[in-house]
Amino acid sequence: MRVRAPELALSLGVLALGTATAIATARLPGEGGYAGIGPNFMPGVVAAGLIACGLWLLYEVFTGGWRARPSDDPAERGDHAFHAPGFVWVTAGLGAHMALIGHAGFVIAGALLFAGVARGFGSSRIARDLALGSAIALVVFLFFVKFLNVNLPAGWLAPLLGSAGI
Amino acid sequence: METFNALLSGFDVALKPLNLLWGFIGVTLGTAVGVLPGVGPALTVAMLLPLTVKLDPTGALIMFAGIYYGAMFGGSTTTILLNTPGESASIATALEGNRMAKAGRAGPALATSAIGSFVAGSIATVLLTLLAPLVVDVALKFGPAEYFALMVFAFTTVAAVLGESTVRGLASLCIGLLLGLIGIDSQTGSPRFAFGVPELLDGVDVVVLAVGLFAVGEALYVAAYQSRLTETLERLSGSLMMSKDDWQRSWPAWLRGTALGFPFGSIPAGGAEIPTFLSYSTEKKLSKHPEEFGTGAIEGVAGPEAANNASATGTLVPLLTLGIPTSATAAILLGAFQNYGIQPGPLLFQSQADLVWGLIASLYVGNVILLVLNLPLIGIWVKVLQIPRDLLYAGILVFATLGAYSLHQSWIDLLTLYVFGLMGFAMRRWGIPVAPAVIGLILGPLAETQFRRALSISQGDASVFFTQPISATFLAVTALLIVVPWVVRRVRGAGR
Repeated sequence: MRVRAPELALSLGVLALGTATAIATARLPGEGGYAGIGPNFMPGVVAAGLIACGLWLLYEVFTGGWRARPSDDPAERGDHAFHAPGFVWVTAGLGAHMALIGHAGFVIAGALLFAGVARGFGSSRIARDLALGSAIALVVFLFFVKFLNVNLPAGWLAPLLGSAGI
Repeated sequence: METFNALLSGFDVALKPLNLLWGFIGVTLGTAVGVLPGVGPALTVAMLLPLTVKLDPTGALIMFAGIYYGAMFGGSTTTILLNTPGESASIATALEGNRMAKAGRAGPALATSAIGSFVAGSIATVLLTLLAPLVVDVALKFGPAEYFALMVFAFTTVAAVLGESTVRGLASLCIGLLLGLIGIDSQTGSPRFAFGVPELLDGVDVVVLAVGLFAVGEALYVAAYQSRLTETLERLSGSLMMSKDDWQRSWPAWLRGTALGFPFGSIPAGGAEIPTFLSYSTEKKLSKHPEEFGTGAIEGVAGPEAANNASATGTLVPLLTLGIPTSATAAILLGAFQNYGIQPGPLLFQSQADLVWGLIASLYVGNVILLVLNLPLIGIWVKVLQIPRDLLYAGILVFATLGAYSLHQSWIDLLTLYVFGLMGFAMRRWGIPVAPAVIGLILGPLAETQFRRALSISQGDASVFFTQPISATFLAVTALLIVVPWVVRRVRGAGR
């Protein structure tokens, strides 16, 4: 009988999450006033639920695998084989965006995010993607800042956007 | 009569030029975003939520109703022309609609879907109008124990009964409940699971979870598994007009679809998948042309589409009257209400009657706008479908991250978003449903509040949940829902 590693990992993950929740719950206050239960009651229930689900999932892993699960064969799911660069480029775009948005500003971070994701989806025209991403991010920036009064960081472009009267 | 008057004053609100404008914008945006492949109604609503921060509650909610309906509408267009159902409720439509389009009958398929959605949406809105005050009357008698029992029922149906795997549904629900616990405890003010991170003290925002699961998770999944798929966009050639035969085959299907969809949406049993599939198989059985099923039968589009829309409207019954969301989209709508400090439920019909009835009236208006807007403008939506996939997902993520970032102007929210994205990726790949997590996040804190309130009133006596008749009934039905299928399986297994 084959044990599927991802199912095992996810089942253990649910179990670990439940255990961690239980440990963190133990440190929550328990006094409950009239109700007799405090802020730690529901967390305890959820921790128990997660542990129970984790154990149940583990049981399924070792008794023939998760029931009624999606096929392991990508073709049967209507997919292609796992294509790591796609996953990595989308992640890279999101990573650059979250690292840079506070410093470089919304427009630059947005352009990098746009280019990264487009690359992940197979685009090879990086210059076009950066230009298009900048343009879209700039329009969104102006719309939110000027029209909706939502504050977004201008970052390194602040002098430029500032001198343009924005 | 009372209802009729309330509805009339609702129309007063909904037909104010400004509110009409918000409804119009909502419907248009909802259609435009909903038509994007891979973007279902839940994501559409979540992504457009940040746009409404500066609106007054009535205008914002009217806009949201428009987005909700528009997204349903736009999704059908994509399903028919592209065969990528944005959500599981569209799978039935994809079966026949896309085949009709392949056979050069895209026009009638889109028309029966649009008109069917209009018919179903309008009838369902009438039913909502009539039913809501009745449910409110009953719900006013509910105390915390009854609410808690009802929420347990909703959790169980959504997580354990409807999906492919009970345990995976429950695991997803527990994760949602856990996320809902993060932040400051509303009863005592003590922080829970925030680990000193200020962004977490506010709790996990439903928009971040929904956008993370649906947008980031979807983008990661498609980039990893589908970016090299070549899809064929069916051409919209010929007329949109339905022939006399098309009409005759469509209208009974619309009505039957509505009759199936609305009840499924309005009992807290969530999900439009079941009624759409029921409608599909019903139409297949009743059709005079069963041989056409699988090659493009118009009833197979008309029925499920009507069921889908009627169910979406039906979902608003528990949402507005009880404050209980039964689908991921409804959970996000509830989050939108809460952003405005509004808690849907029976009291809302009394305290903010204008807002609720304005919203209901705007559903009628929105339906008409949709019909007028969509059929003649179908050419524009087809253009939207032609956006290359790489640029499309890049654009979606720029918007998706914006919603999360604008909460606290903090990169922590973006990190949270990515973590939810990874979660969404894993859940999709290994068949863990996401809707229970979203519903757990938003409904969990409400359930906890009711639970503790009930116990406060009873001075800590937990038997209150079983001695109150209504509460006991809900809990008994919940237990039956779990036990009966299990017993049936055992008995059948033993019989073999």
